[in-house]
Amino acid sequence: MTDLDDLPRRTSTRRAPADRAFRGVLRTGGITVLAIMSFVGIFLLARAWQALRVAGPGFLTTQTWEPDSGNFGIAAVLVGTLLIATVAVSVALPLALGTSLYISEYAPTRLRRTLVSLVDLMAAVPSVVFGLWGFFWLQGNLTGIARWVSTVFAWFPPLSVEGADPDDPLSPVTLYTSSTFVAGLVVALMITPIMTSIMREVFMQAPVGEREGALALGSTRWGMIRSVVLPYGMGGIIGGTMLGLGRALGETIAVYMIISPVFAVQWHVLQNGANSVSSLIALRYGEASPFGMSALMAAGLALFLLTLAVNFGASSIVARSRSGASS
Amino acid sequence: MTLHPRRRRTRGRLLLALAALVATLPLLTVPVGAAHADGYVPINGAGSSWSSNAIDQWRRNVEQYGMRINYASTGSSDGRNQFKAGTVDFASTEIPYGLKDGGVLDTLPTRSFAYMPIVAGGTAFMYNLQVGGHRVTNLRLSGEVLTKIFTGVITSWDDAAIKADNPGLALPPRKIVPVVRSDGSGSTAQFSTWMAARYPSLWNAYCAKAGRSTPCGVTSNFPTVAGKGFVSQPNSQGVAGYVAQTANQGTITYVEYSYALKTGYPVAKILNAAGYYVEPTASNVAVALLSARINDDKSSPAYLTQDLSRVYTSTDPRTYPLSSYSYVVVPTATQNGFTEAKGKTLGAFAYYFLCEGQQQAPVLGYSPLPVNLVKAGLAQVRRIPGVAAQSIDIKSCHNPTFSADGSNTLAKNAPQPSECDKLGTTQCSTGTGGAKGTTTPVTSGKTPPGKGTSTGSTSGGTGAGTGTGTGAGTGTGTGTSGTGATGKGTGTGTGTGTGGAAAGTDAGAAPGTDAAGAAGGTTSVVAADYGGGPVSCEADTGVCQAVAGLPVQTDKPSSAGAQQLAAVLAVLLVLGAILAPPLVARARRGASGGGRA
Repeated sequence: MTDLDDLPRRTSTRRAPADRAFRGVLRTGGITVLAIMSFVGIFLLARAWQALRVAGPGFLTTQTWEPDSGNFGIAAVLVGTLLIATVAVSVALPLALGTSLYISEYAPTRLRRTLVSLVDLMAAVPSVVFGLWGFFWLQGNLTGIARWVSTVFAWFPPLSVEGADPDDPLSPVTLYTSSTFVAGLVVALMITPIMTSIMREVFMQAPVGEREGALALGSTRWGMIRSVVLPYGMGGIIGGTMLGLGRALGETIAVYMIISPVFAVQWHVLQNGANSVSSLIALRYGEASPFGMSALMAAGLALFLLTLAVNFGASSIVARSRSGASS
Repeated sequence: MTLHPRRRRTRGRLLLALAALVATLPLLTVPVGAAHADGYVPINGAGSSWSSNAIDQWRRNVEQYGMRINYASTGSSDGRNQFKAGTVDFASTEIPYGLKDGGVLDTLPTRSFAYMPIVAGGTAFMYNLQVGGHRVTNLRLSGEVLTKIFTGVITSWDDAAIKADNPGLALPPRKIVPVVRSDGSGSTAQFSTWMAARYPSLWNAYCAKAGRSTPCGVTSNFPTVAGKGFVSQPNSQGVAGYVAQTANQGTITYVEYSYALKTGYPVAKILNAAGYYVEPTASNVAVALLSARINDDKSSPAYLTQDLSRVYTSTDPRTYPLSSYSYVVVPTATQNGFTEAKGKTLGAFAYYFLCEGQQQAPVLGYSPLPVNLVKAGLAQVRRIPGVAAQSIDIKSCHNPTFSADGSNTLAKNAPQPSECDKLGTTQCSTGTGGAKGTTTPVTSGKTPPGKGTSTGSTSGGTGAGTGTGTGAGTGTGTGTSGTGATGKGTGTGTGTGTGGAAAGTDAGAAPGTDAAGAAGGTTSVVAADYGGGPVSCEADTGVCQAVAGLPVQTDKPSSAGAQQLAAVLAVLLVLGAILAPPLVARARRGASGGGRA
């Protein structure tokens, strides 16, 4: 009988109808998003099943892509996707960090608004435009840099270029085109705006009290940024980077236009030939046989899972950080 | 929660922008309204990028009649698949359904369909190559060399086989970079059909290396072998755009002739069965396709499709061997969302391009359809459901191939190839493709031991010369000269021969130098004999002279060490500019702090 006394009192909330309706709408929205996500996953799995059963575990280790002869796998395309994303993020991260810090901390107020809209405008440029620009303009102007880097850092395998002879004046410049590097650079410019926006938003939320405290203790502006803004915004930096990475993994049309697809693991990022899952799908879905389509769905499923993992990782990191937890 | 004032302002601006967008929408949709006014509904097509330059021009032209034709040049394979799936109203393709590609049969669509030829053209080989800072515009290739280039057997431009095709060019030891299509394409299918028919052993050996089963036969997806230095690009625009980047020297690709005209790049002249190197001009394509066999069985689903095996071996000297027709696949029943209203638009569009549209083909880089195919095409149009049938008098179409007696006027009047295009020791200097205006200086080839001929011109005397080249060849040259001087000279050293030279004062070349012959005024003497050595021509005057050697254009700066040093210094300077102020400040603070302590 004493147990009863220990039980907490049951509370009940009577919500007004308007409140209930509002909650219902929100809940429906949330559930719909989840349902659509899982339907995409289920659809991909169902369509990919036929190919996955034929390929077996070799699907993860095979490099070639000849689904109609049963010899296909995502080793080359998945590695290529990750390499392009790595190049993109390693270029975009410093760029976005610098831009967002400048906008939030250093830029004069009047200039700030212009800069913010400029960055947002950059995000609004369609990826096909980036692709055209990268293919027709950037690529030709980048070969000199690629050649220099590959000559100076030839001792570092990912930066070396096979078949390049720096002493041969007639060696083809095409060796340095259509590479992971060029594609990664274009993708970097596409993910910089979203990364910048997120980081700037978080940096601007850094508590004014702490900022003023740091300044009052005699720190310089950079000291204040280091001791207050950056630790506070760490969640935003990581979250923005992960979101950028997610987009870089899935970027299709710009990569499709620039790379020269190879179906072998291409570690040399400066060398002609690259590949990515999404550009493979864009390239082949139009002409695929039913089985080839199933194989493409399997590749899509792999990318879907990878992106999902990246985004979940990002959200869990962001949620544990100070700025993320409060927002 | 209250909105932050700045947020509110942002939202206001966003709304403004949205309002502006909404305001511009009606402007964008005006043509649609016009289309409905004329009773045409928009239709969608997809497919070949080989023929897309023609289709794009035609659909722009019919917009004035209120027809809205959407066309996506996504490649023939994609076009055929989209038509099969019912997502487009018509498809454009070079090859028919029902072919086996890589062991997989391209099945016929379940919806009823018919083929209709739309235009003819040549699969051209566009390239980007320079010698001594001047673009080469008169490259010639035989079929075997071409196949060897695209199967990775010949890898350098100075290969002896290429030299044999181009006796007048001294090509650099630059690597050949074949640029192929990465998507499924009709151009690849046409090219691989030709290679499989003409050089099956080379083609099968390459296919086997790429992991395909042999015999390889026709394929829409060009097989690539990793590490061969091939570049794959999607779409005709992609491969042409890649080759047309100035820096991408040494590249060569297969693409419809119109793309070379558009980008201003030359195409290779291909050797035909009659022993002439020929360019895919409208008339040469028309001549070649006289030998095409067209399926004339009206009950067959493959009615009007082409068999090009006789084109490859046609012995007319004007034949371009890689000529072919392009087709559209049109629906013949109202299925898969195809309605009679759409049939009306498609029919009117077909009437336009089969009749009036053919006039523009030569200008765009294609070749017009001959009269029999236009007639057959017009008959096919009537099978489209909902078409407003017209009876067109084909004389009013002004098609360049039409004539009163039914023969192909364009082919009949096609000019014979110039003698310098004949397989042998001479080579034309005139440009090709989109670079017609640029001539490339040529030297005469290796003089065969015993006799070499060079044709001079015009008036004056004739000069005959005997010379000794490397390996003791004797050349007899006929040159222009006011005095009729005879030049005799002996050349020593590598690569220098002597030609019979008689150009005014040039007569009698000194040992070791080449005599320039036939520099005669305005007449274009294309087979000038410069004694086998390199020739340098001035671009503005056109005066050519034999030189000891041509400068090789280099990509690599000669002072690479100094430049690298400068780059490293610049990086260090920037780093210093960033790092020095805080370091100095810290050091000074440390010093003053220490002082205080």
